[in-house]
Amino acid sequence: MEKIVSRHFGQENSHRLEHYLKDGGYVSARKALTQMTPAAVIEEIKRSNLRGLGGAGFPTGTKWGFIPQGNPKPKYLVINADEGEPGTFKDKYIMEQDPHALLEGIIITCFAINSHKAYVYVRGEYIKSMKILQEAIDEAHSKGYLGKGIFGTNFDIEVVVHPGAGAYICGEETALLSSLEGGKGFPRLKPPFPAVVGLFESPTVINNVETIACVGPIINRGAAWFAQLGSEKNGGNRLFCVSGHVNKPGVYELPNGITLREIIYEHAGGILQARKLKAVIPGGISAPVLTADQLDVKMDFDSLKAIGSMAGSGGIIVMDETTDMVWAALVAARFFALESCGQCSPCREGSGWVYRQIKRIYEGQGRLHDLNNLPGIVNNIGGNTICAFGDAVTMSVGSYVSKFRSEFEAKIKG
Amino acid sequence: MPNVSIDGKQIEVPAGTTIIQAAEKLGIEIPRYCYHPALPVAGNCRICMVEIEKQPKLQIACYTPVSEGMVVKTNSPKVIEVRKSVLEFLLVNHPVDCPVCDQAGECKLQDYYMEHGQYDSRLDNVKVKKEKKAFPIGPTIMLDQERCILCTRCVRFTDNISKTHEFGVFDRGDHSQVDVYPGKQLDNNYSGNVADICPVGALTDRDFRFKCRVWYLSQTKSVCPGCSMGCNTTVEWDKMRPHQFKKARVMRLKPRLNEEVNSFWMCDKGRYNYHFIDENRIHHPQLKDGLVSWEKAIDMVAENLKALQAAKHTGAIGVLASAQLTNEDLFVIRKFFKENLPGASVDFKLAEVPGESDDFLMKADKNPNTAGASLILESNTGAAAILQKAKQGDLDVLYVFGHDLVKLYGKETVGLIAQKVKLFIYQGSNINETCSYAHLNLPSSVYAEKEGTFTNCQQRVQRIWPALAPLGESKGDWEIISQLSNKLDAPLAYKSSQEIFKDLAATIPAFAGMSYEKLSDKGMLLK
Amino acid sequence: MDKITNKYERRGAALLPVLHALQDKEGLISPEAEKDVAEYLGIPVVHVHEVVSFYHLFHQEKLGKCHLSVCQTTACALRGSEDIIRYIEQKLNIKPGEITPDGKFSFDVVECLGACEMAPVMRCNKDYKGPLDKKKIDELIKGA
Repeated sequence: MEKIVSRHFGQENSHRLEHYLKDGGYVSARKALTQMTPAAVIEEIKRSNLRGLGGAGFPTGTKWGFIPQGNPKPKYLVINADEGEPGTFKDKYIMEQDPHALLEGIIITCFAINSHKAYVYVRGEYIKSMKILQEAIDEAHSKGYLGKGIFGTNFDIEVVVHPGAGAYICGEETALLSSLEGGKGFPRLKPPFPAVVGLFESPTVINNVETIACVGPIINRGAAWFAQLGSEKNGGNRLFCVSGHVNKPGVYELPNGITLREIIYEHAGGILQARKLKAVIPGGISAPVLTADQLDVKMDFDSLKAIGSMAGSGGIIVMDETTDMVWAALVAARFFALESCGQCSPCREGSGWVYRQIKRIYEGQGRLHDLNNLPGIVNNIGGNTICAFGDAVTMSVGSYVSKFRSEFEAKIKG
Repeated sequence: MPNVSIDGKQIEVPAGTTIIQAAEKLGIEIPRYCYHPALPVAGNCRICMVEIEKQPKLQIACYTPVSEGMVVKTNSPKVIEVRKSVLEFLLVNHPVDCPVCDQAGECKLQDYYMEHGQYDSRLDNVKVKKEKKAFPIGPTIMLDQERCILCTRCVRFTDNISKTHEFGVFDRGDHSQVDVYPGKQLDNNYSGNVADICPVGALTDRDFRFKCRVWYLSQTKSVCPGCSMGCNTTVEWDKMRPHQFKKARVMRLKPRLNEEVNSFWMCDKGRYNYHFIDENRIHHPQLKDGLVSWEKAIDMVAENLKALQAAKHTGAIGVLASAQLTNEDLFVIRKFFKENLPGASVDFKLAEVPGESDDFLMKADKNPNTAGASLILESNTGAAAILQKAKQGDLDVLYVFGHDLVKLYGKETVGLIAQKVKLFIYQGSNINETCSYAHLNLPSSVYAEKEGTFTNCQQRVQRIWPALAPLGESKGDWEIISQLSNKLDAPLAYKSSQEIFKDLAATIPAFAGMSYEKLSDKGMLLK
Repeated sequence: MDKITNKYERRGAALLPVLHALQDKEGLISPEAEKDVAEYLGIPVVHVHEVVSFYHLFHQEKLGKCHLSVCQTTACALRGSEDIIRYIEQKLNIKPGEITPDGKFSFDVVECLGACEMAPVMRCNKDYKGPLDKKKIDELIKGA
């Protein structure tokens, strides 16, 4: 399988401009800016079936098309490099080992939506990523790939690296905007959507790092090529992050249609000490947990949705037979309780309550009615909140309780 | 203008109207915590969620605009379930200390829970401890972080209305705490309003703390007499248990909504200045050497006035009326002194120092009825002339309505006046230094004991209703003058302030066409 | 500082990078710093404090010379982060959120750091360290 987004990973000095240029770097950007129209670029991305790889899987070209070009306000591109979804670490590799691929994608995207300013919102802990990215920006500037009148056209573009400060919720696109504007990471009421009212009340596209890193190759080799690489409505390959009880945790670029079983056993080296698999999270902690009999699911957005989970961020966390699933639920519930922004009542109070209930059960202090009440409490959060964090609590924590109920019951009787 | 159906009732509303606003127009009150009509929408409490036909998810009514043909249900089983769940979530960490909470009886947590709550509680876990309980965050407000439901009304108030930026929500998740900036106090001219808007007992009024359970309170509409803004108020009083609170009747003042005048707000100076209604009052008519009956007092004054009238020497009468008086009081003063005793000098403008003002509600003129006094008494030469006459010994009768002359002009001047004037009358409600110089003190009632009208700085005539009976032997200002008039040739036969106002409206062009009915409780602008 | 604010269309948007820069320089964010930042950016100081209290990377107390942030989320938990946390508690004799008496070490438990392939993982000041085991913890403590 040909590697696209990870083609430069592991190569010496892959982050340097001279390395990137040796391999056809910035050819796509030049092509887009000098030979295409913005509308043609958007059309190409639409036809490629590229979907948001941060977690939501929204068709990228469609999102770009929402930007109202008649609106007199400046347009912004915001790259979501917050990468907070547990189990996910792929964007770090792109920023540290192929930053120019990201920059080239940014240039093309900005051209397509008529934006002259891009912010890369990087989670505050990724100091190394930010440093390397900034160096790449400086390199690109010196070559005239960023700044005023790039590639000999009259298109200006600036890219600013902006640090987060330790809040998972800032990965939510409107919370990211709130944070970028200098506030707490509070998600915003929608509508209006960022495409119309986004950063500084202006039309904004927010896309994940990996999504934008695909843009250069798509423009270079065509939408049809990218589309046929994946499954029906999900074009291209994807960077899957495998962690947990596997022999070879790491980033793996694989086709979207690959099965979970193949990823775990044929690429990530199978389970530690050849144990049996008990459960696996397929797409970051927000994704409902899957059981061992569900491993043959294809890892594209639509297939995973069909079996009641989600492709999400591509973060696969494997749990073997030694895993106590009540404990796993506790870890997940604790994560949500600590990362809830606290803005709306169901999530703020509910996430903490669910965590304390599960903790009680885990520590042997739970009674049967605690367990019986738990699904109802969990289900009251999702669907009633300002953002999808509440839905994630419900789906994720709820999946442990429903699929491994017997383990919960054991803690009560035992 | 979109046409929408809410709970089966149809209404047409301007585009942009939210569901919660449209429902209100239909008389349907959708439960709300964070929503407040005068504050920007937050949408965080989630209790106003409603069901919209053809939409799979419930939506918050405070933020969703209506659209043509929208069908909304505010009480469907789905909606009731969500409301129950939101209430349950809000109680997870709530101390439920109603027995010691002032908000009890006017608490939205209690109210909505009684209506929609889940009676079989499943809350038996340890509650998150917050830092500040019963913590004074300023001179007027007490903070209880445990009771706070983080609706952020207070934050939006100090950001957008008072613009003083004291409140914030710190930390995150269920450890979030509302507080003021560490080391700072909630100390602005409108701090009292945050206790009004806090739907629970997280922010409570220190002045009102533990004073009276709200179900003992009666409410009467009135207008603040503190300045010419005339903020609409509600006087809240307890007459049931006078043995408590040292015989105070008024427990607190609350602002009353008037979109044209003060919106939902009032300043702290006005809000906390009600103690004078019950404290330090003049209870009985009094001469220098002791109490006197009303009859004797009125006779004494009438005698002096009649003598001057007969001797055609009414120029020796000086009247210092006041812009603290109602339009009705002033009209009766005008009729009695200016029309029946022509030659008497009547004025109301004394050398008052303009008070604090700001670009919100506080006005420098600390009188509620300057506009009314100007129109009704007409003369504007100022009281200086009258006082000069008094000092020179040219006044036989000086009739002062409520002014503390000692405060304004000093003891020496007032002492001199008391010497030179034959009959120095002080008619007022509260004791001040001038009373000890006056020859005769007549107790009048305060605004909260009167029916009448004030005219504010916007030229708006607003009604006040009597909350209480006049304290002790005090009487209304116009009632006293009326009684006086009975002893003179042309008795004023008014039986009610409404009658006076009717006459006033017929006499003074600016008030033409007005009546108590038309004024209602929102007031009307002068012509 | 102006170099930072000049990158943004609105001054207030520079708040997070400015706070980071301040914290790097002074080791923590003091109330005085909050007031200075508020004035410099034209933001009410209460909202600066909200931001400082909301984000976990900002702290208002001095940390140890070597601050350990140990991840406790699922992938790291599956690979033994709880043992690591207990081991650190034992070796340094402090609980999460505390600082050693000699000021050398402070430690805290945090959520996913985005390095699950190196689980169990922690940050030692700004550097990622993983996969951790007791031997590596010993080395780290000796080396400081």
